[in-house]
Amino acid sequence: MKRMYKTVGPALSIIFFLSGYCLAQGPQKGNVSIAVNYFVQNNQIPYVKVVAKTKVDGRFQPVPAIDVDVFLDKDSTGTKIGHLVTNSKGEATTLIPQSLKKEWATSVKHTFLASFAGNNKYEASKGDLTVAKAKVLISTNDKTITATVLDMKDTTWQPVKGVELKIVVKRSTGDLPVNETPTFTTDSTGKASADFKRNNIPGGPSGNITIAAKIEDNDQYGNLSIEKTVPWGAKFIPVNTFTERTLFATRDKTPIWLLFIAYVIVIAVWGILLMLVINIIKIKKLGKAN
Amino acid sequence: MENIKLKATGVIIDEPLPQVPTITSAADQEIINDLLPQKFGKIGKIWVIFLSIICLIGMYAYYRQLRYGLAVTAMRDYVSWGIYISNFVFFVAISLVGSLITAIFRLAGVKWGAPLTRIAEIIALAAIVFASIIIIVDMGSPERFYNLFIHGRIQSPIIWDVIVITTYFFISILLLYYPLLPDIKILLRFKERSGKRLNQFYNFIGSFWIGSPEQFKLSDKAINILCITIVPVAFTIHTVTSWLFATTYRPGWDSTNFGAYFIAGAFLVGAGGVVVAMYVFRKAYRLEKYITENHFEKMGRVLVLLSLLYLYFNINEFLTPFFKMKESEAAYLNGLFTGDFAPVFWFAILIGMILPIVILVFKKGRKPLPVFIVGVMVVVGAWFKRYLIVTPTLLHPFLPMHDVPASYLHYFPSWEEWAITLGSLAGAMLIVTLLARIFPIIPIQETLTEQHEKDV
Repeated sequence: MKRMYKTVGPALSIIFFLSGYCLAQGPQKGNVSIAVNYFVQNNQIPYVKVVAKTKVDGRFQPVPAIDVDVFLDKDSTGTKIGHLVTNSKGEATTLIPQSLKKEWATSVKHTFLASFAGNNKYEASKGDLTVAKAKVLISTNDKTITATVLDMKDTTWQPVKGVELKIVVKRSTGDLPVNETPTFTTDSTGKASADFKRNNIPGGPSGNITIAAKIEDNDQYGNLSIEKTVPWGAKFIPVNTFTERTLFATRDKTPIWLLFIAYVIVIAVWGILLMLVINIIKIKKLGKAN
Repeated sequence: MENIKLKATGVIIDEPLPQVPTITSAADQEIINDLLPQKFGKIGKIWVIFLSIICLIGMYAYYRQLRYGLAVTAMRDYVSWGIYISNFVFFVAISLVGSLITAIFRLAGVKWGAPLTRIAEIIALAAIVFASIIIIVDMGSPERFYNLFIHGRIQSPIIWDVIVITTYFFISILLLYYPLLPDIKILLRFKERSGKRLNQFYNFIGSFWIGSPEQFKLSDKAINILCITIVPVAFTIHTVTSWLFATTYRPGWDSTNFGAYFIAGAFLVGAGGVVVAMYVFRKAYRLEKYITENHFEKMGRVLVLLSLLYLYFNINEFLTPFFKMKESEAAYLNGLFTGDFAPVFWFAILIGMILPIVILVFKKGRKPLPVFIVGVMVVVGAWFKRYLIVTPTLLHPFLPMHDVPASYLHYFPSWEEWAITLGSLAGAMLIVTLLARIFPIIPIQETLTEQHEKDV
């Protein structure tokens, strides 16, 4: 009986341990949400931006360093736009390559497919976006800015009514609306006009500023924007005192008035002291003469 | 009688052509015997050895600082000016006494101050020498001083300070030297008493003085010019020192009052230093006939006046910021009034200003011993006052201190800093002691002249 205890006890322990190991589930994988965004700037080559997010404690967090394949219209090798890896913000961008020019031209609407195959931390996930080909034009006349939105119907560009867009002045820290109206909507001719009311806004040395018309996150057309440089800003010539004589300049750029005052004081005081030293020599001579 | 008319900076001084006193009477001989430099007695030797040991410890600490860098100090990113700069300001302040006692008293016709002039000049010289040394110590590597000349900008108050300290040092030497010339002639007559080496030294610096009326005329003219010159230079030296702080935008330093505030404090500590030295020399060399109770009475009154003046500036300096209590300065002010620095702050105010006023307004308080005690209080209080001007401000910058080691948030000097600082104070006292051994601590010739005038 004792022998049985000696053999069965450890055997049961091993079985219990192994069963726990075998039946244990791995750590639960997270879900990734893949969003696809489409951009055309100044009517040049479109590009696609993929954004990967996951929910942690009820909040979306970027998912960095995951592999995402992006396709045009169908998930096949021939229509692959590119293989992307998300950055620290969970974002990755790619231009539509030249090799897909033919496929791009076949239709006025396209669907972008983004596919993440999953990894040891996240489940596989997919995202897609369908956009219609469109473009924005911008023109100016006497401080009035007109943006025109056109989309492609068959093989021709047609004006589009009812598209919401922004007309802005580009500044270094963001976009500034050209007047008090934040957004504009195109009319039946596909046009939206705005009066430029940002007078005296600082431009460069020539007074140039950049205005832009932007369609943002539009369900049909994605993100389109166009820019134009106009001389409507106030000429701003920066005053660079680096090479001038100032109190905070280097020693070779000391203000003349300061040098003058300092030298006058130093020469006057040390002149007196020199005179007093000479006076000692005079006293000495008087002593020796006697 | 021929008059000397000296016209400088708008001041005209009419002075009779000096009479050359001849030493004839036994009274003269007694004065000379009393005032000739005396060899150190037992206490004097112990005093010199004691000061020398402190200086040597300071030099060893400085060697360590040179070898291991400023890291041996407790100064860090925030408190980059510690007790070295406090000590520098203290030395510059005390050096102003030369201009107060010698120049201002002389120009104002204050005759009773004559026996105190040599003491004041010696203190001024010793203080300005160590002010220069301690600023080089603060630089860390002494060769950086050379960089001040090759890279210094005249726009910087630091360069103004270098220029003005050099100028003041030179004026102090001249102001000590010129009045010494007649005394050198007397000293040279007592070769045996002086000893061979000292006699050679006297010979070197003043054997040409024969005491002719022409020499007196030139000498008196030079002393008058020096007295006029030293006043603006002295005001400049301490105003510029105050500007080192006031031109920096920090709590406690952002004041237009700083120049006058520093000068008032400097005159006070200088006068305090003189009364301490007066008392010690009077006792050590038995000079009661020359440094009389009347001198203490008068200097007591000067001290009261200067204490009141400095207290007035302190009230100006602290009351208005306290009334406004701007948020950016609140931590600094609270630190002084009720915080970490409160014991030192109230000590400096009470011991350095209020108690001296209370003691000295009474006639009994202006006796030699009380005046001496008050002088010590003023000097000690003044040293801590300089510490309070420098350190609390640096520990309370306008931008909050974030993510810094805990040692950056407080400042207590390392032993090396204490040793160097005490060594410099001992060094200054050693210079005063040695100069008092070499030269008459009370001008002999002036005393004789005064005696002759009284006799006439």
